[in-house]
Amino acid sequence: MAVLEVKHVTKTFGHASNEVTVLTDVNFTAAAGEVSLVIGPSGSGKSTFLTIAGGIQTPTAGDVVVQGRDLNHLSGKERDALRLNRVGFILQAYNLVPYLTVADQFALVDRVKPQGNLSADELRRLLDHLGISQLVDQYPAELSGGQTQRVAIARALYQNPDIILADEPTAALDSERVKVVGQLLHDLAKAHNKAIVVVTHDLRLRAYADQTYAIMDGRMAVA
Amino acid sequence: MFLALKEIRHEKLRYGLIVGMIVLVSYLVFVLSGLAYGLAQQNTQAISSWQASKIVLNADANNSLSQSLIAKSTADRVTLTSHEADIGQAGVVAKAKGQAKLSAQFLGINRGQFIYRRVKTTSGHKPLNAHQIMVDDSFKTNGYRLGDRVTLNSTATTYRIVGFTHNAKLSVAPVIYGTLGTWRTLSHVTTDFQASGIVTDRTDFKPQVAGLSTLTIPQFINKLPGYSAQNTTFTFMIGFLMIIAMVVIAVFLYILTMQKLPNYAVLRAQGIPARVLVTTTISQALLLVVCGLALGAVLTLGTVLALPAGVPMSFNLPLLAGVTGGILLTGVVGALIPVKVILNVDPVSVIGG
Repeated sequence: MAVLEVKHVTKTFGHASNEVTVLTDVNFTAAAGEVSLVIGPSGSGKSTFLTIAGGIQTPTAGDVVVQGRDLNHLSGKERDALRLNRVGFILQAYNLVPYLTVADQFALVDRVKPQGNLSADELRRLLDHLGISQLVDQYPAELSGGQTQRVAIARALYQNPDIILADEPTAALDSERVKVVGQLLHDLAKAHNKAIVVVTHDLRLRAYADQTYAIMDGRMAVA
Repeated sequence: MFLALKEIRHEKLRYGLIVGMIVLVSYLVFVLSGLAYGLAQQNTQAISSWQASKIVLNADANNSLSQSLIAKSTADRVTLTSHEADIGQAGVVAKAKGQAKLSAQFLGINRGQFIYRRVKTTSGHKPLNAHQIMVDDSFKTNGYRLGDRVTLNSTATTYRIVGFTHNAKLSVAPVIYGTLGTWRTLSHVTTDFQASGIVTDRTDFKPQVAGLSTLTIPQFINKLPGYSAQNTTFTFMIGFLMIIAMVVIAVFLYILTMQKLPNYAVLRAQGIPARVLVTTTISQALLLVVCGLALGAVLTLGTVLALPAGVPMSFNLPLLAGVTGGILLTGVVGALIPVKVILNVDPVSVIGG
């Protein structure tokens, strides 16, 4: 079942002679229980696509429908609530609050969204699975790039969202960790019926994807 | 508050410096307010202790008690009740054997009238005859003791200190209470003159006698030599200081918030409501200002205890509450300025394209 639909989305920045079109007539569908991979080089419009799909940015033209709700018709507050409750972001950088320990990153989610998050047991298993359970008292500055990335993944999954949008989730990971994260995303999709959308230029993740899109110069096509 | 406390705990040096700055600003404001109020008090303490409403002076005395003389013939035309009291003022230099000279204000009062009853002693008793005086406690801190014989100005007569009284200052000089007879001697006037002025605790007292003018006590205080100029100077100093403090604290809090925008952008991307971030910013600012104010108050208290008794510093609750409220308001304003920026923070800025 399609839970995220991007329909004829175009995004331009600037005006007149400075106008740049980053996405052109993009169509995309993500279904529950599937991992969708969007592969493209830097500057191809991957991250812009992801932010529009998650309701952080609005498209210049076209529609984004999340679980039957057109984001164009939602207020800013409603889009905030949608991101908090339905959509989890795994961001490329700066995705942890620097003055919160790993444990506090999850505590913050509990304070803002007291219900619907993973249980303590589920969180412990997730941290174990990602190999970061020993890092709960560390601050982000004390973590390596790979550890930071895995904590960010755990942080996004902790909200137990229906849709997970990941921006280069394996950028700082070695091959072994790529396998762990790829398998984790795949398992989440299959076992928990999540829709996972990953934008990346890491072709190693193709093995875990149900469908792959290629994006180049703002145009997307099924690969 | 969760985010606010966690951040302060993690960034101890940064927040310590900001609190330190607020401590210094509040300390400066407290001390200056204390000095201003203390000095103002030293002009008027004696007057306040009379709990009077009005004062009647010679119409030609330019509203100054020390320059006023009311002739007995004039005073006789005023109907006096138990609510009125004669008072004679004379500037004197007091001297006792083995003690330093002290400039003071001699106030002659009548034993049977209300000022005499309302002035309180801290030790000894009130003067019972023309050779006895009661002096302000500051005489004690200058070495004077009960029983000391004091000469006033160049007169040969000695007066025995029979009592001390607290907070008896007039025009920043300690007060010596004695009789109206002694006042006449010190002022070199005869019994043709009744007093320098007539004080009343009735609000409706206004004798219609030629040659006399009636002032309310606040009017009279404002006419005390130098009092208004001094208060205006201090008021402007504190006012400007508050404005500068407000700008400095507001700028610091603004910079602090701007530095946190990348973090806020991440949190906004994750769906954390802007309301949470605004509440965090304001509560953090309030927390910093409250801590700064509390430490500033402790520092001020330490200063008060360490200062010599002669330094005119005192505090009153409404003034302190006003100053404290002003600085608190400053913190809130400083935190509110960047709220629009927080509300408009763009999560895309940390995600890139």
